[in-house]
Amino acid sequence: MSVRALWIISHEKGENVSIRFSRRFSTVEHRAKCLAGPSHVAVPEESTVLQLLLTELGLSDSDKSYVALRDDCLHRQRSPALELHVDGPGKGILWPVLAISQGPLILACLCLVDAPPEPRPPLANLLSVSQGLTLLAGLQNFLLGSGNKPDSEALASRLATLPSVLLQVCPLGTPLDVPLLGPPATPTVPTPAGNQKQPAWKTGLHRGRAVVNVALKETVRSMQYGSQSRQDLWDVYGTCEVEGVLPNVTVTLTLPPNGSPLQDILVHPCVTSLDSSILTASSVDNSDGSAFSGPYKFPFSPPLEPFRLCSYTSQVPVPPILGSYELREEENQLRVSVNLKLHESVKNSFEFCEAHLPFFNRDQMGAVDVKVSSGQLDVSKENNLLVWTLGQKFPKSREVTLEGRITFSGPTPGPTDPLCTELTAYIKPENFNPKSTLYGIQQDRCVVLVERRQSFCVQDAAWVQTFSCRLVQEDVPLCGPSYKFQPLDPFCVWSSDYRPK
Amino acid sequence: MAVNWADRVSAFSRSPSRFLSGTTAEAFLAELLRELRDDRASDSVKVLLVSPLCEHPTLLCPSDSEGEETALELMSVFAQCPAKSVQLRCHLLLALASVLVCSSCVSVRSPASRDFLDLLLQVSQDTGDLHGDGALLSLRATACDCLRELEACSPGLLSQHLELFGGLRQRESSRFHQAYAGLHSLVLRNAVYQLTQETGAGAEQLKALLGGNTSVAWEADQDSGPTNNTDSTVLSSLILGPMGTVPSLQTGPDCKELRSILSSLLEESYLLTPLCQAALLHRLTEVVAMVPGVPPAIFRAQLLRLLGTSKVCLLHTTLLMKCAFTDSLFSAEDEAFIVKRLVALSQHPLLTDPEKLFYMDCILHFPENRPIGCGDGDETLPVLLTPRLAAALLPTVFNDSATMLARLNLLSLVYLEEGEEGEGGEGRGLAYLYEHLMSLLRIVESGGSRETVVAFFRASFLFLWHFYHMECYTSSLVEKLCELYLRHSQLAPHLIGLADHTQDRLCESNWAEGLLKALQRVITDVPLAQLTSQDLRSHLKTLARVAEEGKIAQRSTLHFLSSIIAPSSSLCVSGDWRLGNSVLAVCRRLLVHPSLDSLLVPLADILQHLACRYGDTDVQDHARLYYALLTTLSQEKLAGVLAQGATEGGRQVKKRSLSSIVADSEGLTSMLTIHQTERAIFSVVEMNPELRRDTQADKESDLNQSEAGECPDEASAALEAYRSQFDDPDFASEITLSYQLAHAQDPDPRFDQLFSIRLHFSLTDDHYEALSDISVPCLFRERPPPAVQLRLKPRRPHPTTLRASAIFTTQDGLSWHTVLPAIRVAFQQAFMPLPAPPAWRRGGKLNLFEGLWDELCSESGECAASLFCCQLKEAALIGLVEKHFLPYLISDWSRKEEFKVLFFLPPQSHVLLKIRSEEDAVHFDVATDNWQLLSHISSYLLTITSSQEDTHS
Repeated sequence: MSVRALWIISHEKGENVSIRFSRRFSTVEHRAKCLAGPSHVAVPEESTVLQLLLTELGLSDSDKSYVALRDDCLHRQRSPALELHVDGPGKGILWPVLAISQGPLILACLCLVDAPPEPRPPLANLLSVSQGLTLLAGLQNFLLGSGNKPDSEALASRLATLPSVLLQVCPLGTPLDVPLLGPPATPTVPTPAGNQKQPAWKTGLHRGRAVVNVALKETVRSMQYGSQSRQDLWDVYGTCEVEGVLPNVTVTLTLPPNGSPLQDILVHPCVTSLDSSILTASSVDNSDGSAFSGPYKFPFSPPLEPFRLCSYTSQVPVPPILGSYELREEENQLRVSVNLKLHESVKNSFEFCEAHLPFFNRDQMGAVDVKVSSGQLDVSKENNLLVWTLGQKFPKSREVTLEGRITFSGPTPGPTDPLCTELTAYIKPENFNPKSTLYGIQQDRCVVLVERRQSFCVQDAAWVQTFSCRLVQEDVPLCGPSYKFQPLDPFCVWSSDYRPK
Repeated sequence: MAVNWADRVSAFSRSPSRFLSGTTAEAFLAELLRELRDDRASDSVKVLLVSPLCEHPTLLCPSDSEGEETALELMSVFAQCPAKSVQLRCHLLLALASVLVCSSCVSVRSPASRDFLDLLLQVSQDTGDLHGDGALLSLRATACDCLRELEACSPGLLSQHLELFGGLRQRESSRFHQAYAGLHSLVLRNAVYQLTQETGAGAEQLKALLGGNTSVAWEADQDSGPTNNTDSTVLSSLILGPMGTVPSLQTGPDCKELRSILSSLLEESYLLTPLCQAALLHRLTEVVAMVPGVPPAIFRAQLLRLLGTSKVCLLHTTLLMKCAFTDSLFSAEDEAFIVKRLVALSQHPLLTDPEKLFYMDCILHFPENRPIGCGDGDETLPVLLTPRLAAALLPTVFNDSATMLARLNLLSLVYLEEGEEGEGGEGRGLAYLYEHLMSLLRIVESGGSRETVVAFFRASFLFLWHFYHMECYTSSLVEKLCELYLRHSQLAPHLIGLADHTQDRLCESNWAEGLLKALQRVITDVPLAQLTSQDLRSHLKTLARVAEEGKIAQRSTLHFLSSIIAPSSSLCVSGDWRLGNSVLAVCRRLLVHPSLDSLLVPLADILQHLACRYGDTDVQDHARLYYALLTTLSQEKLAGVLAQGATEGGRQVKKRSLSSIVADSEGLTSMLTIHQTERAIFSVVEMNPELRRDTQADKESDLNQSEAGECPDEASAALEAYRSQFDDPDFASEITLSYQLAHAQDPDPRFDQLFSIRLHFSLTDDHYEALSDISVPCLFRERPPPAVQLRLKPRRPHPTTLRASAIFTTQDGLSWHTVLPAIRVAFQQAFMPLPAPPAWRRGGKLNLFEGLWDELCSESGECAASLFCCQLKEAALIGLVEKHFLPYLISDWSRKEEFKVLFFLPPQSHVLLKIRSEEDAVHFDVATDNWQLLSHISSYLLTITSSQEDTHS
């Protein structure tokens, strides 16, 4: 239920490592000692913890190719909890240490094991583990904000506020809350609202216009192999971000006709109640066709800062772009041929769209003789990258092609990638953000209801769709044979129907 | 004086031990407290000053009296704080709680801790927030947190305030009601737990507890001193899976009061932050688990909300509920839904990696309604997790390594089960996993990052761990790994690690051996011309590991070694110390290889070549040492010498040392040094005289039997014939003494079995020639002692003392040196019967005796004659002769009137006795050709006659 110690470490790719903040919770340590008895392992000093943690995370001795302690194949890297092997006096194993790492920061904490130490209890029995994960994620969000790379000054100033932040969220090692993103709101006395209690996540009262902002964001992932042996895959996931300061709100989401049901719905804890049918659809089990298809109602009492009301995944009937990508080695040059076709249902209007064609494991580009049917082509020879700028829309035909020859005769080798060997390559559209959602929720189908008929307006409902793709040429090392539920991964991968001999 | 407290405090918390080496804890604490009392210091500085007390109270207040004093100080600082210093006052409360809990003041209910408790209770009830800025609210919340922590550390401390907290919770409408809810639920849980431990407690007691009418007995209990805190079970979670037992309170179905408290807590639970909600629900789950009178269905209304949440801690709470209540709260459909949900969340694109890993871990420890296994912490799959469902978690090359490994592990378990059940489509999943492994291998092959390489080997280990019995995959994996190794020899340590671990963990599989054998083959097949020095280093490392395998033939390794050090290669000339040591490391392992016999000659050649030709002196020296060991020690001894260091150090040490020779020498020193025993382990003692007599008598009778042939009649002729024997300088020059080895009295089990004992004797004077060493194969305590024949070659037959020592080996292979008790050689031990030619009969000897007698009595110079008299009865005399002189008797035994006795003492001394009984006494007429012996003879005669007198008187 509690954490024994907390560390925040900054590093630059394993270099310049330092502990920026640490806190030990002595009373929790006292409990840990009582619980573990003679097998108790005390928390060592900062420098020792740092060393052990880096070894465990595989970040120590980056100049050495093999270090037994770090690279041992017995290592249980697959568990979310690490073991720190403390040497010397007070020898033993510190467990479970949770660590999350993002950008320049590593956040780690040691959880209290409120169970007999022998045999070691499974993580799933320790509530402190999930609480620790929640706390760390909250702290990470607080320190880094939404972006991954805050400037070091902002980070330093946030770190400086941590002692007072921890007083609120984790005063004696028992996490109570996650820190708020905004400036700490001064606690206010609630306006007496009968016997109604104020939710603990509302730090104060907003005095201003009653406004609800809703932003839906969907991301399509797709892999297109263009191969007989392997299915093309695509899916979509989306989030609904809300900012509202009203006491009680209900957002209702409705699907377009014949729209695919929302699956794997996760809601913010401020949602007060859920209908069981909302949760039944799952991406891992498409057995019943008669899935619930809305409307999806989410009654909630929003916190003061913007938050993610819900997130979901969905199946899509067709990918928004169908493409083919062919590569052929001819004498000393590479023949490239790309065709991209925008689906009819997608609104042909983007903020600014371009497609990237990187080439790996070759010498630098020499002559590039490539023609495009639309848009323009930039060649970055030092990066072996073709950037195909498509601009704000596709031509009327909704189809663009790229064709030509490239020689790789440069003096120095270009970038390398262990995946894209020989004729395996990909094309990846960047900034492909149509100005409307294609799948899932439709703009006009989102209804916001507010209790007690206060005046409100829905402001700047933003409808964003992100679309990132990768295109793979040859199907050699990628994912093994296609499997019905082949999971998708961060990039969409496309491929041509070219088959190597 | 301006002290930079920020720096000092951060130096302290960075490394308390280093900080306190410059000052004392006492002094630092005094400084902190003084500064806290200083009005000029700002609040922010004071907040900083409090933090060492929060983080390291046990360092600053090591004893409870110091804790008590410090707490009193802090409380007075708190009392003097202006009301607006909310932050400081909050931090002071935290510091007080930390100091009092950690110095055990709370558990013994010290006065300061009682005062603090009163303070906290007072602050927590102080609702008169007149300033209207909510400042007091956060102080109240902190006070609640402190109360909760005190209760958590000393369960039952606040039981009698249960009703108070319930009331406070219900009245509070600001968001701080959650602090009261947390406190209330914990106190409730601990109070109910306490009731379960009291025999006979039931509905009545529970009602009284909840109503605040804590009985007098309770109060007394509280005041009687510390509660029994030695038992830590109250601190630990009660929800521990199928093996955990929950104490229960029998209340019957009627416990309205508890039910209403629980429902009111649950109703408002959605108003708490997820973290507090999770803690609250966990506490309430424990309460309901302890009180069977409350149906678990009380939680039902919360479940959907919890299952739909994006917060990992809330979903986890439902799993813990499921663990506690199984099918009394969750139907089979619910269970199926939760499994599905967990799988979906394990790969949800909007969750973080640690969360997904945690959900996968939850799948592997899923609390099933009807668990099949015993839930001993092993990873098992829920029955409802079908291969179809699990296919969503197939690993791909795009996963980060932790996710990929977790998925591989999970799917392996799935397919392992599927394979066992032998369903249709069997092996397809396994084939996918193998292909995934091969994809990883190809990425490694085309230059994957270090992380990818490590992940690949971990994946390989996982695959083998689960599927080591699938011959077709594992043998193909060996092949692929060998190909990979040939192209990337720098992977040697990874491959060796993989072999080591599969061998350790998978005892029933010989996969590691197969891999090593295949590696040996590919290494030794490669044409030498293609070897880079990096390759060579890796190959030697690998071959060293291969050489540890007793079952793998090492011919090809030796061939490889001899070809790389051949004169044609530059290795020897370059004298690379590391490479040389790598070669030696292989040789060292070959020295202990079971098939050493067949490797002896080529290995010796290699070592000799290294010793003579290698361009580095250190390598030469070691090669020479190994060569010497190989050629002089037996295989067993060699194995003992070399194996010791290896097994003691273990693999880790071997790998970490710069070259294995460093670790080796540690083992070698202990094995090759001769240790000194503290005291004598055994001694050389004279053999039982009876036994010795027997053996001598045997010899005598042998002689008698072979008595035949000529013997001279004339005394002079006899003398001449006799003397002629001494032309040979070795003739009758030695005396043989019989001894045996006997263990010392005090048993030391280490020395019960001794081997290869080498006895060494040294002289204390120059009467004897130096003795050669004697070897005894073994000496066991429980077996008959071995006999030792000491061959002494006197220069002068005087009594002497020999110093003795021994070197031996014990069972553990160590060699020892021990000093034995000195051995006394008495004068009579040098006596030998007359070394007359064997063909002589008694008559000849008698002739010789007479001849000698006349000569000795007539000649002067060295010769001398003497008379010794003593009082002896005739019978006593006969007894004496029989006992001491029989082997040396020349005259006929039947002629009792005069005994003629001749002692021969090597090298060429004679003592002749004529013993007659005269009227007054027995006369011993003595003649000798060495007058220096007279004194010894007389003391000898004196000894034996006086002892004979004793026996016969």
